[in-house]
Amino acid sequence: MNGRAFLIVILFVCLSCRNSSNKPSEFVFPEADSVPLTEAEKLSPEAIADISKNISSPVEIANLLQTLEIPFSQNYIAASIDANKQSTNFDKALKLGILGADLGYLNMYEKTGSSLDVLSSIRKLADDIKVGQFFDFESIKRLSQNKSNLDSLLFISIDSYTKIDNYLRENERGQLSALMIIGVWIEGQYLATQVVNQFPDKRLSDRIGEQSIILGDLLLLITPYCNRDSEFKSLCEDLRIIKDKYRDVKISYTQGEPVSVEKNGALVITQTETSNVEMSKEQLDGIIEATKIIRNRLILNN
Amino acid sequence: MKKKYIVTLSFLLMTGLMSFAQTSEPFVSNCVLNAGPDAKYLKDFRVQLGQSTARSELRYKANMSLWKNTKYRFSMCNAQDSKGKLIMSIKDETNKTILSSFDKNSGKIYPYVDFVCNKSGIYQLYYDFYDGQQGSGVGVVSMVK
Repeated sequence: MNGRAFLIVILFVCLSCRNSSNKPSEFVFPEADSVPLTEAEKLSPEAIADISKNISSPVEIANLLQTLEIPFSQNYIAASIDANKQSTNFDKALKLGILGADLGYLNMYEKTGSSLDVLSSIRKLADDIKVGQFFDFESIKRLSQNKSNLDSLLFISIDSYTKIDNYLRENERGQLSALMIIGVWIEGQYLATQVVNQFPDKRLSDRIGEQSIILGDLLLLITPYCNRDSEFKSLCEDLRIIKDKYRDVKISYTQGEPVSVEKNGALVITQTETSNVEMSKEQLDGIIEATKIIRNRLILNN
Repeated sequence: MKKKYIVTLSFLLMTGLMSFAQTSEPFVSNCVLNAGPDAKYLKDFRVQLGQSTARSELRYKANMSLWKNTKYRFSMCNAQDSKGKLIMSIKDETNKTILSSFDKNSGKIYPYVDFVCNKSGIYQLYYDFYDGQQGSGVGVVSMVK
């Protein structure tokens, strides 16, 4: 084989390998998706990445619910979302986030039957905004049916969303990434507020109150897009309404030094410093109501 | 002959890079599964660093919100070609060090650290390879009962 032929073989092998996994170069994004922001509107990529990691995972909320022995309820799932009826990329990305949170809740409670319906909707929405290649549908479906492998299921589900988020941000489609993240947060917040309404618990109401820590970041994430169109404007307004409900919620701190203990060769650190949420019943009720109204409006089909 | 050498070298380099990309995923998922049967995966941080030229703070930094009444497990796994072991530390918003997987007094490096969080907030997670060495690894964050 001469050098040129060998090079062609190498190129063929390389391209085949690329095509067997992710195929970002093949996609043609809708023009409206790829309008670059002005420099002044941009947050640094590191800041955006940090914000996306700061959002409370719906898996953590579901874990808290399980710790509190709260029974699973299908009523908290956004079952009414019809993936075929989402007309804009705004709707598709936001609902991809909402259903991602629902998937986390279903996975934690091992509700495999329901999760398959949610999975199908997620696949349709992800395909529609050209990120379906990052969503490992078959593996998630397989693991959903095999209840013994919860950790793999959580890993592949969360990892799929992380890849979608990274890809959108790296390809000048940050507004869709922001919508997805906000969708995840709103649905997690809806789940927590609906449960606390039915099963009042201090730990859960504290977790809701503590969301004030990241609400500012969420607004920071969406603010560059608030004047993009009426859909973004309305979502920004919704988030400001929720933030306003948190205005008088206070978080105080007590000081303390972490305590380290070695147990069976492993290190266990217990934090003695504490955070304490000061939130009245009226404040909590205001947050529950605002979240419910906004979330229920957002899951309406067009 | 020279051409053939260059082409062969290119081939080896490219296939090496491709195999790294294709094998990093099982490496991460193995690390996730090794976090323990009682651990539920939350996030991972994939760290790849070269040899540090100066002794400084841990080089890889990420923020993460940690929530009160939750026990987190921070596990670390090293790729086979790493020269150093992955270590980590966590600082709070006031820049106070909350934990470190490396005990300066004994020199012991813990492969995982459990952290009982009692203060909700945004924390800074730092990762590096011991003594600023070159390496690839993953830090997995899970919840434990």
